[in-house]
Formats: sequence, C-alpha cells, structure tokens
Amino acid sequence: MTDIDIGSRWGYTKRGYAITQSVRQLRHRSTATLITLLVLGTTFALPAVFWFGSASISQLVNRSVGEESITVYLNLDVTDLEAARLAEQWQGEARIRATTHISRAEALALFQEQTDLDDALAALGANPLPSAVVVYPAIDPNLPGNELVTRVEGLAAALQAQPVVDRVQIDLDWVRKLQSALNLFRVVVSLLAGFLTLTGLLVIGNTIRLELLRRQREREVSTLLGASRSFLNRPIIYTGALYGLLGGAVAAVLATVAYSFIKAPADELAMLYASTFRLSLPTAGQFLTIIAVVTALGLLGAILSLFRPIQGQVPNR
Amino acid sequence: MISFEHVSLAYQTGRFALEDVSFQLKPASFTFLTGHSGAGKSSLLRLIARLEKPTSGEIRVGDIAYSQLKPRQEPGLRRQMGIVFQDNQLLYDRSVFDNVALPLIIGGFRFSEIKTRAMAALERVGLADRYADDPINLSGGEQQRVGIARAVVAKPRILLADEPTGNLDADISEEIMRLLLQFNNSGVSVLFATHDRELLQNYRFPQLVLDGGRITNLGRSPAPARQTAHESVSP
Ligand SMILES: Nc1ncnc2c1ncn2[C@@H]1O[C@H](COP(=O)(O)OP(=O)(O)OP(=O)(O)O)[C@@H](O)[C@H]1O
Ligand SMILES: [Mg+2]
Repeated sequence: MTDIDIGSRWGYTKRGYAITQSVRQLRHRSTATLITLLVLGTTFALPAVFWFGSASISQLVNRSVGEESITVYLNLDVTDLEAARLAEQWQGEARIRATTHISRAEALALFQEQTDLDDALAALGANPLPSAVVVYPAIDPNLPGNELVTRVEGLAAALQAQPVVDRVQIDLDWVRKLQSALNLFRVVVSLLAGFLTLTGLLVIGNTIRLELLRRQREREVSTLLGASRSFLNRPIIYTGALYGLLGGAVAAVLATVAYSFIKAPADELAMLYASTFRLSLPTAGQFLTIIAVVTALGLLGAILSLFRPIQGQVPNR
Repeated sequence: MISFEHVSLAYQTGRFALEDVSFQLKPASFTFLTGHSGAGKSSLLRLIARLEKPTSGEIRVGDIAYSQLKPRQEPGLRRQMGIVFQDNQLLYDRSVFDNVALPLIIGGFRFSEIKTRAMAALERVGLADRYADDPINLSGGEQQRVGIARAVVAKPRILLADEPTGNLDADISEEIMRLLLQFNNSGVSVLFATHDRELLQNYRFPQLVLDGGRITNLGRSPAPARQTAHESVSP
C-alpha cells in the first residue's frame, strides 16, 4: 500500500483522538467559542483583580501600623542622660525596631516651633517639658492587621506600666477604622467573587451540556463500536479543561489590564496619605495561578455535567 | 456461538418485543433473521449487542453469559461484534478513513496497525481510493460499504446486520450480500436481519423467522442452501 495522507499519528491514539476532537469542535464553532471565552474571561476577571490586589491590601494595613510610632513621655524627674540610656536599652528589645530620644531641650525647641506660646513658656522660667522616647515597634509584615494592632497596643501598655513612664501616646484608631473598612470590603468582594465563580462554573457546565447534545451522535456511534465510558467522556472533559484554560487566560489578561488602570489612582491616593504603600503588579505566578484555577473549574464543570445520565445513549433501531 | 434461552424483552411501555425466544447459532454460521415489520428483529440484534437487557432468559455469546456481565465489560463485548445498520450510522464530520479507523482507535490499536487495517478493510469493500473523501459525497451503496468496512475492521467474531440493504436497489443489495458472505467465509458469524424477498430466495441460508416476538420456524430454510454454508440454526 502506498503511503496515505491521513494526518498526524498522534490523532489516532485514544488521548490524541479526544484532544483532537475537542479542539476541532471549539474551532468549528469559532464565534460561539469566542463568546463563551469572553463570558468566562469577564466573569473571572473581577475575582482575579481582587486576588491580585488582596496582597497589597493586607500590606496597606501592615505598613500603616509599621509607620506608626509610640511616643513615650517620661516622668519630669528623669534626666536626659537617664532617658538616653533608657532609649538605648529599649532598642535592644525584640518588639522594638528603633527608638529616638528627644531631650527636654529638643522637646522645648519643637514645641516652640509648633506653637506661639513663647511668652507663656518664658513666664514659667523652667522647661516644663519632659524627656521623651519615640518607639518604633518591630512589625512582622506577615501577621494580619488586627494582630499587629493588638501587638502594638500591647507594647504601648507594657511601656506605660514602667515606673519611669508618665504617659504613652499612640494613635491606632484610624488603623482600626481602616482595618474594618477593608474587612467589609473584603467580605463584599469575596461574596461577589464567589457568585461570579459560581456563574463561571454554570457557564462552563451549560456549554458542556450543549456539547454533549451536539456530540450525541458521535457518542452513540462510538458506544456501538465498543467505546468505554472513559473513551466517551474524555473529549468532553478535555473540552471543559480547554474552555477553562482559554477562559482563564482571557480572565488573567483582562484582570492585568484592569489592574493597571487601578494602580495609578491607587498609588496617587496612597501618596496623598504620605504612605509608602504601592499596589504591586501581578506576578507571573499569580497570572498562571488564575489560569490554573479556571482550568480546574472547567474540568469540574465538565465532570459535573457528565454526572447526569444522557438519555438514549444508543440509537434505537 | 450465540444462544438464546427463553429470552423475553419488554420495553418500558410494557409491550413485549420478544417472547420466550430460544435458538442457537453455530460459530462461523450465516443466518437470516426475518419477519414482518415490528416482529422484533432489531430488538433481537440489540439484545445480542447488549444495547438492551432481556426481561428474562439468558443470552450467551461464546462462553460469556450475559446475566453475569458487568457494565464495564459491555464495551469489550461489543468490540467482538461488528454492527451494520440500515441507516449506516456514519459520522459525517470526518473522512471515510477516520470513520473506518474509529473502532481501531477505540480498541487502542497502534498507528501502523490502524493504517494497514483500515486501508485493508476499505480495499475489501472496494473503496480504498475514496479514503480521504467525506462520506456525504458517497452514494448510498458506497456509504453502506463504508459502514461494513467499519464493522469488520477490528476483525469481530460476529457480524450483526440490521437491514443493511434496506433502501438500496437490488444490484447493490447483491453486492453487499456478497461482501457479508466473504466475511462469513473467513470465519465470522453473520446474523443478517432482512425482509428482502429476493435475497432470501437467492441465498438459501438458515432463517430465524420472527412473528410478533416469537420464533415461528424450526430454523430451517425451506429448500437446500445455494451457498455452501453449514446448517447453523437449531431450535
Ligand atoms: N425503544 C422502544 N420502546 C418501546 N417499544 C419499542 C422500542 N423499540 C421497539 N419497540 C417495539 O417492539 C416491537 C419490535 O420492534 P423491532 O424494532 O424489534 O421490530 P423489527 O422487526 O426490527 O421491525 P422493522 O422491520 O420495522 O425494523 C415493535 O412493536 C416496536 O414498536
Ligand atoms: Mg428493525
């Protein structure tokens, strides 16, 4: 027999046949496929954007806490020398990143700079301001924001308990407010992302159900020819995975584009708050994870659709 | 080779398509299955192909008792059979070659084997030169021959033909009959459902005659067979 032209060897293996069939069906109805992929892409884009941003959002709280300092006013009878020693000693503690000592003279200078009360101070004669130590807490950026706030407040309380300390000043209320606003935002967006993921799963499931109907004849004929269940189902499962893979890629691209739109105004806002916070761009790993997750959902959608038995799998004649 | 023991089949409607059917076919036999429309011919073939399960009775093919068959063994059983239909059940989204190759892909054959076997099967039905065509561009008779090539390509032990000559003219019926005979001569058991009078007259093979779901003859054709086929039916 002369050589015949029948396409690739691979297309005639069980697996190759299944993949070839899937790809062929998708290409055959290219418009419908494209629309489905866009639907999947837009559906999964929002959860993806949120996920890209969520790491930055946790960072926002952590950094805000990290940039906060505790001002510790010492008793009036503590000398500048003693205060400087104290600052040095505290610096050695694990919970403390850095300390700055503000001597009584410096405190007075600062005070004068900031107020117009020169005359009143002069009237007092002596310097009424105590020595102070500014304490910068050590922050583990991997801890959740709540925990950080609690720890910093714990540190403040510990400092307050020292006999040499007169008063501790710290303002974490705004961080708490930010924290709860972000928590609310997180819950809302998570719910939204959950619904959208479910929608995506349903879209894939429905697409696969249609696919099953379209392939009915092929499935019937293959059954007659002795195809096993796995042979019948393999192209369907590959189709689900393929929709997931391509839909996931569309979602990842859309999310990255959307994210880059959000980044500029978000960074500007952060700058206005003098924060060093910046949205970080999605990494290649995150990009691929989105695709992997949507592919898995595609697989899941296909498998779930296959659970319902197809009526009349075999022609009746 | 194939035996039915008191087999009945009732469809979900409650109607019995087959009632208390018993017969035996010897290996490598050629048997006609006849009877008027609705007599139960297709139902009987569907039972053999395990596309339907009997309501009662036992079916055996070789040493396989159908009552002992697990669902996952059914595909393997079907792979031992070739089935040809009146409506040829070709897939029109692929070439003639790919239609014939499908049972081999399902059977997990190697590529070189698939190529040789499929082309050999097409050769035998005289369509090797049409391997790359779309089946839709073939005539009814040619399509039926592709269906036969597909049915025999994996070398089944049994060939079930359900009115394969149904809507083809007499010349083509003859041609298809001769093809089936060829396969029978190479050792394949053929069970051929038909009510084509001409064929039944020209080829005096044993007949299973169904009427209202029951076998009405004793399995002998009325006159000696023209072909050299063995007496193959015993009630
Ligand atoms: N899926 C089904 N559900 C219910 N009844 C059926 C079904 N298939 C067949 N029947 C009935 O069973 C009986 C036998 O049908 P079958 O198709 O086996 O006959 P047949 O001999 O092949 O007829 P024909 O020569 O017209 O093809 C008929 O009365 C038919 O109406
Ligand atoms: Mg019939």
